[in-house]
Amino acid sequence: MTISHVSNYLTPHDLSQLQNLQVLARQVVEGICAGLHRSPHKGFSVEFKEHRPYVAGDEIRAIDWKVFGKTDRLYIREYEEETNLRCTILLDSSGSMAYSGARSSGLSKHDYGVRLSACLAYLMLQQQDSVGLVTFDQRVRQYIPPRSRASHLRAIIQTLHETTPQDETELGDVFHELVPKLHRRGLLIVISDCFGNVDRLIKALAQFRHAKHEMIIFQIWDPDELDFPFRQWTRFQSLEQAGNRRLVDPAQLRKAYLDNLKRFRDELTAGCRRHRIDLVPMPTDRPYAEALASYLSMRRRLT
Amino acid sequence: MTFLNGLLAFGAAAFSLPLIIHFLNRSRFRTVPWGAMHLLESVVRMNNRRFHIEQIILLIVRCAIPILLAFCLARPVLTGWRSLPGDVPNSTVILLDNSYSMDAEQNNRSVLTTAIDDASAIVNALGRGSDVSVITMGGGPRPMTDAPIVDSQMMTERLKHVQGGYGASRIVESFESALGTLAGMSNARRDLILISDFQRSDWENLSSETLRRLQAQLSDMPIRPSITLLAVGRKIANNLSVDSIVLSTQTPGVGQQLQIRATLRNHGQKTYSGLPVIFRADGAQLEATQITLPARSTTQVLFTHAFKRPGSHLVDVEAVVDDGLKTDNRMTASVPVIQHIKVLLVDGKPSAVPLESGTAFLAVALTPFTLGRTKLSDLIQTRTITVQELNQLALSESRVVVLANVPALSGEQVAQLMSYVRGGGSLLAFSGDQVNISTYNQTLCHPTRGILPMQIEAIAGNSDQVPTSSHIVAQHFDYPALQLFNDRANGNLGDVEIWKWLRLKAVTVAGPSAGSSSSQPLDTRQPRIIARLDNGDPLMVQQRVGNGIVIQVATSCAADWSNFPMRPVYVPLMQQLIATMASELTPPCNIQTGEPLAAILPKEAEDLPLSLTTPDGIRHTIRATPVGNHCVIQFSGTQQPGIYRLTGPGIKPRSFVARTDRTESDLRLVDSDRLDSVTSALESRRVRSANEYLQLDSRRRHGREVWRPLLFGLLLFLFIELVLQRRFAKVPGQ
Repeated sequence: MTISHVSNYLTPHDLSQLQNLQVLARQVVEGICAGLHRSPHKGFSVEFKEHRPYVAGDEIRAIDWKVFGKTDRLYIREYEEETNLRCTILLDSSGSMAYSGARSSGLSKHDYGVRLSACLAYLMLQQQDSVGLVTFDQRVRQYIPPRSRASHLRAIIQTLHETTPQDETELGDVFHELVPKLHRRGLLIVISDCFGNVDRLIKALAQFRHAKHEMIIFQIWDPDELDFPFRQWTRFQSLEQAGNRRLVDPAQLRKAYLDNLKRFRDELTAGCRRHRIDLVPMPTDRPYAEALASYLSMRRRLT
Repeated sequence: MTFLNGLLAFGAAAFSLPLIIHFLNRSRFRTVPWGAMHLLESVVRMNNRRFHIEQIILLIVRCAIPILLAFCLARPVLTGWRSLPGDVPNSTVILLDNSYSMDAEQNNRSVLTTAIDDASAIVNALGRGSDVSVITMGGGPRPMTDAPIVDSQMMTERLKHVQGGYGASRIVESFESALGTLAGMSNARRDLILISDFQRSDWENLSSETLRRLQAQLSDMPIRPSITLLAVGRKIANNLSVDSIVLSTQTPGVGQQLQIRATLRNHGQKTYSGLPVIFRADGAQLEATQITLPARSTTQVLFTHAFKRPGSHLVDVEAVVDDGLKTDNRMTASVPVIQHIKVLLVDGKPSAVPLESGTAFLAVALTPFTLGRTKLSDLIQTRTITVQELNQLALSESRVVVLANVPALSGEQVAQLMSYVRGGGSLLAFSGDQVNISTYNQTLCHPTRGILPMQIEAIAGNSDQVPTSSHIVAQHFDYPALQLFNDRANGNLGDVEIWKWLRLKAVTVAGPSAGSSSSQPLDTRQPRIIARLDNGDPLMVQQRVGNGIVIQVATSCAADWSNFPMRPVYVPLMQQLIATMASELTPPCNIQTGEPLAAILPKEAEDLPLSLTTPDGIRHTIRATPVGNHCVIQFSGTQQPGIYRLTGPGIKPRSFVARTDRTESDLRLVDSDRLDSVTSALESRRVRSANEYLQLDSRRRHGREVWRPLLFGLLLFLFIELVLQRRFAKVPGQ
């Protein structure tokens, strides 16, 4: 197996664009402006802060026994702790992500998502944040817990490289399954086309939000899916269900399809807005790094 | 409903193209692996029925477009519409060819019958208030009614009695007659229909100049008629005709051998061998012969016959053959047989010595059989008198009077002779040594009162000096009596030596103003020199005087001034002169169709009710007009070929035959190219039957072209298709 390298997915140009960008959390949670300020929370760290008298309820293991030996009083030793963003990238690897249209330079939606994931991972690790990765279809395929080591990027890249889109998906079910696994609050970046039942998806997203996760959804679109440009008679074969195919005159269907698409997007957008989730449409004909950069710029302006 | 461009209507089959394209599209689909199936499936599921309906509507619209386009280009005409009460009636002239070529039979039915049926069908289909005139073309244009009539029933009845067998159609005259008739008709819409077999002989000779003239006439008409050429009949390959019958003499005498020479022509490619040809006289078959007639050639058959009774007789020659046209297989001729030609010989130098008198040789020459005491009979019966015996009675009993070396006539005799000639008698005046030149010039040769054509200048030549003799210029003779000698086998007039003759000069008369020195020939006298001497002097001069005829001969009929009586040509020449003079004034019994028919009758017939029966059996009552000592009847309605019979109380029946030329016996039809050019020049249409014409006319009169509504429909469907397609498909840009 070939060992993948970061440069396989990110060009020097992409990397330079991402170098100076920071992920800014919108709410006051740990990790907002991560790496730029001191956290009000105290914890274990290598850097000593102060001693304070022991009060009932403090952890026994935090007592500085050396000071007790000298003074016979119980003091608690406190350290300064640097708070990090725990970011988990949820990459949809279902069959529907395999679609590749004529205007996407040969990139399928999944390929686009993989590159987007790599960009994000690189960006997070550059900021000393922890980055994890979850790939899934109708179930979780691979789970890489968040780490902040620079070498962690290689593991993520390797996993991304090995992932191929297949099988059906139902985001609601998968996310429901993921909620207990991601017990620490953090940033969840969902990279998916979000195809499926919108209500169930919104419910699942609500669970994440209930667990205090910050969420960004990069909704990957192929341009063909947005404007349905087909003219001649076409047999549409489902990428998720092998036996599901429809022979239709696309010219006739187009209007109804576009109406249906708009309704779907409106519902999804409304659900995300209700739960304060950022939903970012990402057509695959846009350079993914450029799109990511523009999004992050927007986030910085908002805060 | 009919189509003006019927073939283009088959373009409606192009309606299958949208269907084919639809099914081709369905069969040649592309396969797309699709991710957003959940968006598509619900759309398909919810709209499947609607899509089907939309597809069917679009298909119907698209299929209707080529159908409408094809029908639009085919120019459909709805003919089922009825004439509205306010529709304009039309004026119609039908030119009906009833020439004898129309007697040709096809499918046991003559072409003329077909043509009459077609004409009747057209007349019957005329609308209320329409007037119609039918003009038959055979032998010249002849309207069937004096004026156009509105009663189509009456015209149909008359059409049933149209006779065929007429002479060649005179296309141009008939056309001009039709245009003249149309110009006087009342209705604003005018039609000219020409029904004919369109024979080559009639139409090939139509020059471009004539066509231009007709075009100009058409253009000049205030209301230009719609012209239709209706061709009936088909090409007939074989036909044989008796082209002509030539009689050796027009007025044979009783017992005289009459030669009948018939010319037969084969117009087809078939060779006839052993073809029977029958000769009949007065209906009785007398002789038959067999001939061989190669393709496209002619031959002659000669029959001889002597009539035993005087009067009007008929001879006919018939080729017994089963060919395309039977009318021209037989030809008839009328032969007026006379008992005698009574000739009064006035001898100016009577003598008891044989052959010394002035008329001795002439009497022998005119009645050779009588004097020879043979069984054959002479046509001519002579009576010789002296000058003193010449009186009114003698003249009235004679057909021809001969003055032979008469010295002079008294004034009374001259007046009687003048009256006799003007009344239709014939006078043959020979000269001689007894002729008193000055008296002649004062009486018989007087410029105003005389009857001889020329005045006498002096005696020329010398009978004692043979070397100074003169000869007759043996040129081509035009006068009928001398035409026999154009063939040297019948005798050479140039051999005759003439020693003495009277030098004749043209009669001059004083002008209207007295004392005028200018002189000019008398208007009423037009002397015709029928034979001349080689020195230029006139020898025989002919002139018509009143209803009679006079021939003046510059030399003697005896042997003292010439060796004429000794030459073999003397007898035939004298016989021919007398026979011609006797018959020249008799109107011909055999005429061409269209020529006036005339007959001279005794004066007693003036008040008699005479009947002339035409070939179609119609009896016409005619009156004789007195002319001189005789009566004359004339009849101009001889367009129909056949036998015309003149009957009346107290007169012997006479038969006349009107013949046509046989140009129509060539049954070849005009080339289609030629007919096309004529059709185009006259801006006319051609049809093959009355039904076709009526359909055409129906379209013209009642038909409504519906291509405009169809075009609007087509544009509407194109617009609908565009709208539907955009509505159903919502193409980018909407």
